[in-house]
Amino acid sequence: MNPTLTIAALTIQEAIRRRLLLAFISITVVIVGLSAWGFGRLSHTHSLTSGESNLAVPQALILFMFMFSFVLALSASAIASPSISSEIESGVLMTIVTRPIRRAEVLIGKWLGLAALLAAYAAGVCALEFAVVRWASGFLPPSPVLAGVCLFGEGVLLLTLSLFLSTRMPVIAAGVIAVAVFGAGWLAGVVGTLGATLNIAALRTIGQVGRLLLPTDGLWHAVIYYLQPPSLIAEHLTGGREGNAFYSQGAPSWPYLLWVACWFLIVLTAAVASFARREL
Amino acid sequence: MSQTNWADSTALDRRGRSSPAAAVGLAQAANPLLADHADQRTASPAIHTVALSKRYGKTFAVNSLSMTVQRGEVFGFLGPNGAGKTTVVKLLLGLARPTGGEGLVLGAPLGDRETRRQIGYLPELFRFQPLLTAREVLRLHCRLLALPKAAWKQQERAALQTIGLLERGDDRVGTFSKGMQQRLGLGVALLGNPTLVVLDEPTSALDPVGRHDVREIIRGLRESGSTVFLNTHLLEEAAHVCDRVAVIDKGRAIAIGALDELLGHHSRVRLKVGALNENWCHGLGRFGRWHRENEWIVVEGIDRSRIADLVDELVALGGRVEAVIPEHQSLEARFLELLGER
Repeated sequence: MNPTLTIAALTIQEAIRRRLLLAFISITVVIVGLSAWGFGRLSHTHSLTSGESNLAVPQALILFMFMFSFVLALSASAIASPSISSEIESGVLMTIVTRPIRRAEVLIGKWLGLAALLAAYAAGVCALEFAVVRWASGFLPPSPVLAGVCLFGEGVLLLTLSLFLSTRMPVIAAGVIAVAVFGAGWLAGVVGTLGATLNIAALRTIGQVGRLLLPTDGLWHAVIYYLQPPSLIAEHLTGGREGNAFYSQGAPSWPYLLWVACWFLIVLTAAVASFARREL
Repeated sequence: MSQTNWADSTALDRRGRSSPAAAVGLAQAANPLLADHADQRTASPAIHTVALSKRYGKTFAVNSLSMTVQRGEVFGFLGPNGAGKTTVVKLLLGLARPTGGEGLVLGAPLGDRETRRQIGYLPELFRFQPLLTAREVLRLHCRLLALPKAAWKQQERAALQTIGLLERGDDRVGTFSKGMQQRLGLGVALLGNPTLVVLDEPTSALDPVGRHDVREIIRGLRESGSTVFLNTHLLEEAAHVCDRVAVIDKGRAIAIGALDELLGHHSRVRLKVGALNENWCHGLGRFGRWHRENEWIVVEGIDRSRIADLVDELVALGGRVEAVIPEHQSLEARFLELLGER
């Protein structure tokens, strides 16, 4: 096994022994269970027409997935922020980096291990939630796989940013900054939506710049798009839903996805370079 | 030495204590390349630095350090706390970059990746993955060293035997005491038969039994032909095992040499002189610092070659020299003397 995979396997092994996965799975199962009850009630209530119900269920699913995207982002930050800095502070990394391996292999190995955990979590959450909603209401998002992939992508971007910060900053500083940047990115997206609705160019620009600087919100809107059924889009197009931050006008463009890939590579390269140059 | 023979020779005693034979065995197991560090002694020195410096802002942590550590020797790197010892180790291992000078480790530039395959390192701040067992930590390092998979089990077992943790191999590191973690660190450093073993304060968390064991392990490494760079502020430790030492203070090497050389030139002599006239003693100052202890005169810091001159002078002055007892200066006394001279 090459050093990168060795470090990735170590990262996963440690996370499992920390009962990190167990904690996430437990919380997720509870939330999904509650959502099953909620979606069942929503789709079988007599106070809504079937048309209203067909709109309410996807909208509620989007809200649930928003919560999971937030949990995923926080988790990405929480597991990546200490991965370099705390091991430097504790001395654990000293015997690793003095082995005949590149520091890039250590960092990418950690990234791989953490990304695999995020992927498992994102896949598990999406599969479970979509299955529960389907069972309770009969609704299945039009592109569940793409929605899951974009949700994972959102987590991976924040994971990479947190890992980069972790190469230079103490654990708490790296974690707080990553989460704050994530929150600011989301807020910029909301401001951009308001700008588009109210036709205020400056606000719209804030949204666009925010999605370029930290593409997590851009990917979140891609998640929304892939969860929206045609009925919800039609409802929006016929008016009455302006300024809805939980609505997405279209799939992400290829140039934007290309930018997301570039952003990811730039930050990962910066993390590798930063760790390689850091004196221990 | 075959692995089987080695395994036999490393059997611990019933109390789980390690044996020097185990250290030799660990050094020679699994990798036939090792067999002959002796051949490599003719090659480049284990460590060679020229004017190596490391500056943080205006402060020199290491200031123009030039030294050579030959292959196969146990080299003590001594100095008070904050002298720059650990910084030197970090420079040698590529954990920090020098701001001046240069150095070679096993003939390669500082921090060379491939050379690290031949280096075992026990850091001063020894911590290992607390959720892994000792055996898993050792296996992780076998993987990182790219040792043949077939050798992993034997390497693990040998390391655990050497450090006296065979019975705790399947326990998580998080349950270990500090001393046990330091022992584990030593085991990790010995994996893969390193040509150079760098030990940074290797006994800081150990009890007297553990310290004794470490000394035995270091002697075992020397027997196997490995070079040991022992960074310590415990002078007794160095006096027991080192062939040569360097004394460093404020980032500068203030003395480098064999222990005998370092101590031998500046001995202490006790003389019992009959019919001593107090006035004569005033002339003794040029031989060293002197004082009276009852009927004895003690001259400290005297060059051994001048003891005969001292006796001649006392006789010439009419004294009756009844006894002359040359004494080696203790390393501690010499150490303090060196620091005091600065």
